[in-house]
Amino acid sequence: METLRTILSRIRALFLQGRLDHELGEELRGHIELAIEENLRRGMTRKEARTAALREFGGVTQVREQYRAQRGLPWIETLVQDARYALRQLRKAPGFALTVMLTLALGVGAVTAVFSVVQGVLLRPYDFRDSGRIVVWRERIRELENVTPLLPDNYRHYLNLKAHAKTIEDAAIVQPSGFSVATGVTGNAADELAHPHEAEGMAISPNFFSVLGVTPLLGRSFTAEEAQPGRDAEVIMTWAAWQRLYHGDPSVLGRTIRINDAPMTIVGVLPQSFRFPVMSVMPGSATFGSTERYEFFRPLVPMPSELIAEDGDFNFVVVARLKPGVSIAQAQSELDGIEKAAAVANRLTIHLSVIVEPFAQEIAGDVSKPIWLVFAAVFGVLLMACVNLANLQIARGVTRAQETALRAALGAGRWRLLQGVLIENLLLGLGGGVGGIFCALLGEKFLILKAANLPRMNEIHLSAPMLALALCLSILTALGFGILPALRGLRATPQRLLQGNTMRATGSREAVQSRRVLVAVEIACSVTLLMVTALMARSFSHLLTQERHFDAQRVALVRADLSAPRYSSGSGLPEDPGADRGSLARDAMIDRELERLRALPGVQAAAMTNVIPLSGDASVDGLVRPDHPVPKGLEPMANRRFISPGYFEAMGIPLRAGRNFNALDRAHPRVVILSEKAAQAAFPGEDPLGRTLLHWNRIYTVVGIAADARINDLRRDTSVYYLPYWDFPPTVPVFLARSTQSAEALIPAVRQSIWSVDAEVAIPAVATLETQVADSVATDRFQTLVLSSFGGAALLIAVLGIYGVLAYSVSLRTQEFGIRMALGSSRTGLARLVLWDASYPVLGGVLLGLLGAAGALRWVRSLLYETSIADPWAIGASLAVLLAAALLAALLPVRKAASVDPMQTLRTE
Amino acid sequence: MGESKSDVMQGTLDLMVLKTLESMGPLHGYGIARRIEQVSGETLVMNQGTIYPALLRLEQRGWIKSEWGLSESNRRAKFYSLSRIGKKQIEMETENWERMAATMARFLAPSN
Repeated sequence: METLRTILSRIRALFLQGRLDHELGEELRGHIELAIEENLRRGMTRKEARTAALREFGGVTQVREQYRAQRGLPWIETLVQDARYALRQLRKAPGFALTVMLTLALGVGAVTAVFSVVQGVLLRPYDFRDSGRIVVWRERIRELENVTPLLPDNYRHYLNLKAHAKTIEDAAIVQPSGFSVATGVTGNAADELAHPHEAEGMAISPNFFSVLGVTPLLGRSFTAEEAQPGRDAEVIMTWAAWQRLYHGDPSVLGRTIRINDAPMTIVGVLPQSFRFPVMSVMPGSATFGSTERYEFFRPLVPMPSELIAEDGDFNFVVVARLKPGVSIAQAQSELDGIEKAAAVANRLTIHLSVIVEPFAQEIAGDVSKPIWLVFAAVFGVLLMACVNLANLQIARGVTRAQETALRAALGAGRWRLLQGVLIENLLLGLGGGVGGIFCALLGEKFLILKAANLPRMNEIHLSAPMLALALCLSILTALGFGILPALRGLRATPQRLLQGNTMRATGSREAVQSRRVLVAVEIACSVTLLMVTALMARSFSHLLTQERHFDAQRVALVRADLSAPRYSSGSGLPEDPGADRGSLARDAMIDRELERLRALPGVQAAAMTNVIPLSGDASVDGLVRPDHPVPKGLEPMANRRFISPGYFEAMGIPLRAGRNFNALDRAHPRVVILSEKAAQAAFPGEDPLGRTLLHWNRIYTVVGIAADARINDLRRDTSVYYLPYWDFPPTVPVFLARSTQSAEALIPAVRQSIWSVDAEVAIPAVATLETQVADSVATDRFQTLVLSSFGGAALLIAVLGIYGVLAYSVSLRTQEFGIRMALGSSRTGLARLVLWDASYPVLGGVLLGLLGAAGALRWVRSLLYETSIADPWAIGASLAVLLAAALLAALLPVRKAASVDPMQTLRTE
Repeated sequence: MGESKSDVMQGTLDLMVLKTLESMGPLHGYGIARRIEQVSGETLVMNQGTIYPALLRLEQRGWIKSEWGLSESNRRAKFYSLSRIGKKQIEMETENWERMAATMARFLAPSN
C-alpha cells in the first residue's frame, strides 16, 4: 500500500517538477534563515551566524539532489534527459542522422517486402483443413525420365491406387479446364456481355472438396452419380463468381447457367475463404498466377479412351490426403509398390513409378529457388547497410571521445554513458524503422506489379505484425551496430582521451583499422552480389536472344471455344475422324474464319493451330515408323500440332526442305511436316522426305521439314510433327494473324470476325505473340530485375562505405600531409599515398569476395540458362564495375589530400 | 533482516521524526531538525539538510502531511504533522525497535 502511494506520488511529481523545485527552494531558504536567526540570538555576528548555519545544514546541492532522487522517478528522468540530449546531438549532425536512418529504412524496408513474398508464396500454409497432409501424386515413366521426369496421372492407375492404398485417406482426381460461361442474361447483341465469357476452373471427382476439407457455403458437392456421362450437368461456383454474376442472390441454387453452351444446374457455392492455386496438368509448366482464378467446378467424366488406357492418356492430376501419422515417404513407397505390381500384372512394356509431393511444393516448387535467391540477395544488401552503419558509428564514437571522457571525468557512471548511446541509437532505429515501413509498403507495390505471375501473389499483403517486426528489426540493427563502437569507446580511460591531439590520432588509428576491415567485408559482399547479378542478367539475355526461328512481332492470337453441342457431336475418339457432324461444323467454322481473317486490312498471313504458342509442351506422342518398329514407349517423342497451311508464314518459321501443306492436300490429308529435331530423331542419317509415319492407325507421308523453333518454351527447340487440321479440327482453335500494323490494334477486328461467323462462340483468350513470349519468361525477368536493383544498391552502399572511410582517414591525416608537403612531397605523391591506402581494403575485399562468390555461384548454377558460372564476361564486368566504383569513391578524398595547404595545416591543430 | 546500513539509518531517522511530531505537534523542517538534535543530547551530529529527503519519504508513504503556514518570525514555512496512519506506524515501529533492542541486549550481555 505504501509502495503504491509512493509510486503514485513519484509519478505525480514528474509533471510538477517546476513548481516543486520552487517550493523546495523556498523551504530550504527558510530553514537557513531560521538557523541564522537562532545563531544571532546566541550572539554570533551576522557573518558567523550565516557560516555556522550553512555548515550545520550540510551541502545544499547534495540535499537538493537527494530530494529530487527521492521525489521523482529518476530513471525516467534520466531517460528523458538523455533523449532530449540525443535529439539535440542528432540535429547537430544531420548528415550522419539522415544517412543512418535512410540506410536503415532502405535495408529494413527491402528485407520486409521480400520477406512478405517469401512468407506469402512459400511459407504460409494453405487454408485447407490440416493442409500439411495434402499431397499431389504424379507418375513417372522410366523410359521418358530424361525428357519428362514427372507426368500427369492416368485414370485407371488412379482408380487402382485409390482402391488399394492404405496410407491414403482419400484421393481426388482433377483436370484444370476452361469453360465458356453465359448466365443467359440477354442484352444488346453488339454488347460484349451478350457473348459467352471464358472462365477457368476444374473438372473434379466428387470427393475433391472433402479431400481439401472444404464445405460449400450453399448447396452441396457433387455426388457419385453426377460423375457419369450424360448426368454431369451440374456446376459449383466460387463465392467471387457468385457475387459477380448473381450479386450474392441466395436463390441461385437450382438455377440454370450455360457452360460451354449447354445448360447446367448450379448445385453449390463455395465459401468466401476458398482459394485454390492454378494447377497445370504438365508439371512445371510456365505460368502460375492468382489463387482466385478458378471460378467454376464441374464433375469430371473421363473420356472413353481414358477409361481403358493403361499406358497412355496421362491427362489428370491427383490431389490426395494422407492418413494421420503417415509420412510422404511411406505413402510414396506404398503407392509405388501398388503401381509396379499392377504394371507387371497388366504386362506393360513401360516401367512406371509414382512420385508423391507435398501440395505446397507442387505449386511453388519451381519458384522457390529464385525467391530464396532474391531473399538472400536482399539480406546481403541489408548486411552491407549494417556494415556502413557500423562504420558511421565508429567514426562518430571517435568524434565524441573527448566529450565522453569529460563526462566520465565529471562522474558519469559507465551505465549512464552507455545509456546515452543506446538512446541515441534507439531514436535512430525508430526513425529508420518508420522509414522502413514506408519503404516496405512501396516495395510491396513494386513486387506485386512486377511479379504478378508468382503463385499466391494475390494473397500477399504486409500485415501489421510484419510491419511491427520491421520496426523492431530496425531498432535492433541500430542498437546492435551502435553498441560495439560505444563499448570500445568506454574502454579508453579519460586521461588518455583528454590529453588531446596525439592520443586522438592513436585512438582513431584503431578506429580506421576496424573501418577498413569493415569496408573489405562490404566489398566482398558487393562482389558476390554483383557477380550473381551479372550472371543472371547474362542468362536472361541469352534466353531472349537465342535464335528462336520464329518472328514474334505483330502477331495477334485469338483462341475460340468450339465445345458447344453443335460443334461436338460424335464419339470424340481420334480413331474415327472427320465423318461426324461436329467435326464438319468445326472444319467449316475454321475455314470461314481463316477466309475472313485473310480479308482483314493489313493482314499478311492468317493461320490456325490447336495449342497457343509459348505455353509449354502439350500433346506429346511417339513417332512410329511402320518400316522400322521400335518397342512401345521407346519411340522418339514429339509434340503434335494441328495447323492450317498459313501457319509457317504467320509464325515466321522457315521451311528447310520439301514443301508446305497446300489446298491439294485437302483431298489427301495424310501428310505430315516434321521439325528438324523430330526428323533427326525419327530418321537418323536418312532423308525423311517421302518416308512414312504411323499415326492413329493411318499412314502419313512426310512432305516437308520445318526449322526447329522454340514455340513451346524459349529455353529449347521443340520437337514437333505438324498435321493439317482438316481431319481433326481442334475444339479450341487458336487463330493467328500477322499484320503490318501492331498486333494489339488487330485484336478487336479478329474478335469481330469470329463473331461474324458465329456469334455464340466464346473467345477464351486473346494475346499477342510478343506478350506470350514475355509472359513465358516472367519469372526470369522478375529475378533479373530485382537482382539488378539489389546489385545496384549494393554498389551504391559500397561506394558510400569506401568514400566514408577514405574521407575520414584523410581528414585525420591533414597534419601529416602538410608536413610531408613541407618536406618536399609532391601533390601526386600524396594522391598516390591515399590511393595506396585505399587499395588494401579494396583488394582484400575483392579476394574475399571471389572466395565467397565461388560458393554462392555453385548454388545459383541451376537457375542459369546456357551460361556457365565462370562466364568471363560476367565476372570481368562485375570486377571492372566494382573497381571503377571504388575509384570514383576515392576521387574526392584524393583530391582533398592533394589540395592540402601546408601553411594552413601546420598552423592549426 | 536484510536491510542495508543506510536503510537502518533512514529507519531510525524516520522514527525520530514521527516521535518528534507526535510530541511537538505540527512543526517546520528546521524545528524538527533542531528538536532531534536537542533530544539526542547533541550527540547526534547530522547534516540538518538530510531531514528533507526523510520528510519527503514520510510524506510519500502517507505517514505525515504538510501545509504551508507562517513561522514564529512571520516567515512562510512548510509545516508537517502526523496523519492517522502515521500515529499507528509509530506504535508498530516502536515495537520493532524495542524487540530488536531486547534481542541485541541478550546478545551483548556477558555470558554467565
